[in-house]
Amino acid sequence: MTTTPVTDGGAPAPTEPLTERRLAGFRLQDYALLIVVIVLFVVGAILKPDTFPTWDNVRNMLTQASVVGVLAIGMTFVIATAGIDLSVGSVLAAAGMFGGILVDPEGSTLLFIAGAVAFATALGSINAIAVAYGRVVPFIATLAMFSIARGIALLLNDKLPVGLLELNGGSFGDPAAFSLMWFGTGRIFGIPVSVYVFLGIVVAGWIVLNRTRYGRYVVAVGGNREAARIAGVPVRRTILSVYVLSGLLAGVAAVLLCARLGSASPVSGNLYELDAIGAVVIGGTSLAGGRATIVGTFLGVITFALIFSLMTQLDLSTEVQQVVKGAIVLGAVLLQRPEARL
Amino acid sequence: MTAAATATLEVRGLMKEYPGVKALKGVDFDVRRGEVHCLLGPNGAGKSTLIKCVSGAVAPTAGEILLDGEPLPVGDPAASLRRGVATIYQELDLVDELTVAQSIFLAHEPRRGPFLDLERMRREAAELLARLGHEKIDPRRKIGQLRPAAQQIVSIARALSHDVRLLIMDEPSAILDDGEIETLFEVVRRLTADGVAVVYISHRLDEIRRIGDRVTVLSDGRTSATGLPASTPTDELVELMVGRAVEQLFPQRPRPAGDVVLDVRGLRRLPDVRSVSLQVRAGEVVGLGGLVGSGRTELLRLIYGLDRPDAGEVLIDGRRLAPGSPSRAIAAGLGLAPEDRKSQGLVLDWSLTKNVSLADLGHFQRGLLNVRAERAATREQLRRLQTVPDDGERVVRELSGGNQQKVVLARWLLRDCRVLLLDEPTRGVDVATKAELYRVITDLAAAGVAVLVVSSELPELIGICTRVLVMREGELVFEAEGDRTSERELLRHAVAPIETADLIEEVR
Repeated sequence: MTTTPVTDGGAPAPTEPLTERRLAGFRLQDYALLIVVIVLFVVGAILKPDTFPTWDNVRNMLTQASVVGVLAIGMTFVIATAGIDLSVGSVLAAAGMFGGILVDPEGSTLLFIAGAVAFATALGSINAIAVAYGRVVPFIATLAMFSIARGIALLLNDKLPVGLLELNGGSFGDPAAFSLMWFGTGRIFGIPVSVYVFLGIVVAGWIVLNRTRYGRYVVAVGGNREAARIAGVPVRRTILSVYVLSGLLAGVAAVLLCARLGSASPVSGNLYELDAIGAVVIGGTSLAGGRATIVGTFLGVITFALIFSLMTQLDLSTEVQQVVKGAIVLGAVLLQRPEARL
Repeated sequence: MTAAATATLEVRGLMKEYPGVKALKGVDFDVRRGEVHCLLGPNGAGKSTLIKCVSGAVAPTAGEILLDGEPLPVGDPAASLRRGVATIYQELDLVDELTVAQSIFLAHEPRRGPFLDLERMRREAAELLARLGHEKIDPRRKIGQLRPAAQQIVSIARALSHDVRLLIMDEPSAILDDGEIETLFEVVRRLTADGVAVVYISHRLDEIRRIGDRVTVLSDGRTSATGLPASTPTDELVELMVGRAVEQLFPQRPRPAGDVVLDVRGLRRLPDVRSVSLQVRAGEVVGLGGLVGSGRTELLRLIYGLDRPDAGEVLIDGRRLAPGSPSRAIAAGLGLAPEDRKSQGLVLDWSLTKNVSLADLGHFQRGLLNVRAERAATREQLRRLQTVPDDGERVVRELSGGNQQKVVLARWLLRDCRVLLLDEPTRGVDVATKAELYRVITDLAAAGVAVLVVSSELPELIGICTRVLVMREGELVFEAEGDRTSERELLRHAVAPIETADLIEEVR
């Protein structure tokens, strides 16, 4: 046989990759999403030069992104452990309704927030116990909670929404600082309060994931559970904690959403879990666990917000938006595949 | 014997280049009909790439591969298999839930029309096993119920189901104990008697003498010698492998000095461990020998708290250790380098730094993690162990087995652990790196660490241990000073008074 020279058409063999290449590849993949964000923005600016690249539009996008964004940060922690939380959208709705019932007909913003966050955390804790101690597969445990929490949301006020404008003196206009509506529509230096909350949670999430022992444990458990256990990582407690955290952040997201809408609705948050998971995954966090990036999740959330804004301004129907969003998730994940990994 | 007339496999000038790295720089060798040709070389010498080229898993950049004088299609594993090239990998690629017959005929099941011909599948599986002298393995049994040695036989039977001309075995003995290895060799001898050519890869030089006909040594992607007789002296082979002489395989044996650090009293967890008591002193290296499945790994897991004992207790420095908690064990000064580095020891996609610091993160956390201090401290330990590379940012997956083991050891060095439990620390590691690991282990002991090491390699136990204990069927059955025992003596105590053939049949 004469095979001189045979070219190897494939990618480098899985067992003998080159660090330099791999690191460069990873960086390219990180930048890939940033490039997508910039391209989307530029495209928007070209197609709708009057309305897209404006401060108002950016502010709107960030405000709308904040609810799913908060969910996505919690989801990043869950997925880092090789888990999944399908219940966050339903938990968000149940938390809002629970808080709403507490302050109807009268109550304070503080009571609403405390009630919503506590209720969401409690529901998240049920997920946590089922997964960490009941050893139920995360997909199933949180799928059950997806149904349970939605049911609770509908039962709490006989399928009806609860108005929350009373917390702000009965109207939207010019909310007082620290009133509920202030969290939805109030601004500091021209930037909505909800955006501060979102960005604050992004920064806190980054610090916890990258600069604390706990964050290291979270990713270690997802990367190799047995090795983590042998290295002394409290595996169960770590797994428990991420579902509690995801529930808690669903409560925060409920507060942001209700504050913006001025009401709590039992059908809110529908399919938000899919947006959150999509943002995390296109951000580069591995569904198999062991690799997680908060920056990636943030960019993923922004990508979705840009698509939504752009397509709305182009008067494309929500059906078209769904198709495009799905295609972008698939495309982004295909782009980010670590090369030559089977 | 004339090589040209009877060569089953001929490899000429084989080169394989990956972007930026030359894995093979020109390899020549031939394997004769009915011979066992051993392939030796340090980790990273290109053995894996070579067999991947022959089995069609990757396509070579240049060179030729001839099977029975005909060129073998490149980069086409299915075609290689059809031509009679079968490979048995080190990590068995069997599915626990499938039966023996299903595993043997996986992906080429005999069919009658569109349906599986189960009866024929079972019958032919039984015939293949009988041909290997293992008719006792029931084709209906699930793979997960078989011991590793029996699983290996099933792998070989699968290769035979393809009408094999050339069988490549990549470290088949790594997961077997001595009795099982002899069974494996019996099977290999049957195959070669049938005219099958065998390429046998192993790091264990004693095996090469027992089973091999000729030896080819690879070093740095090249053939450094080929067609050597299997009787070539060890020193010569080692020198060919590493390009220099390894001064001394085993370092100075540590002398016991200090107080009892690890005190195990009546530890029991049925059915694997039945009431084991042992002590390890500071500065001592105690070896734990025995067959695979004798309860050695299970004993380490009990001591370390990975499993809860039914009875018994572990004392560290005289203080009772809370059972069933690895984190408490670590806090008390224990460290474990588990049997399977990849699945139990390391987060493979993580950097060296993160893997080393994982058990000691509290040390670097003052509010937030001080990653700079973490990097510096872990690098110091990696350098101390001469890990290659010692760049903490590299991904552990890319390291050779020996260096991965060093990463695990560096983790416990960083913690200043008092008791180190090592489970098969040199498995799959080349001779030169083995010598380094031995030195590390004895250095640790000299620094006052109590070391308990499980190994299936008897020369290793005898070579580095102050004392050697032998386990059999969950109990300690023998104890000897390391310098006053022999392989023969240890093996005699390790082997249960039942026949080797029965051992394989025994369900886990």
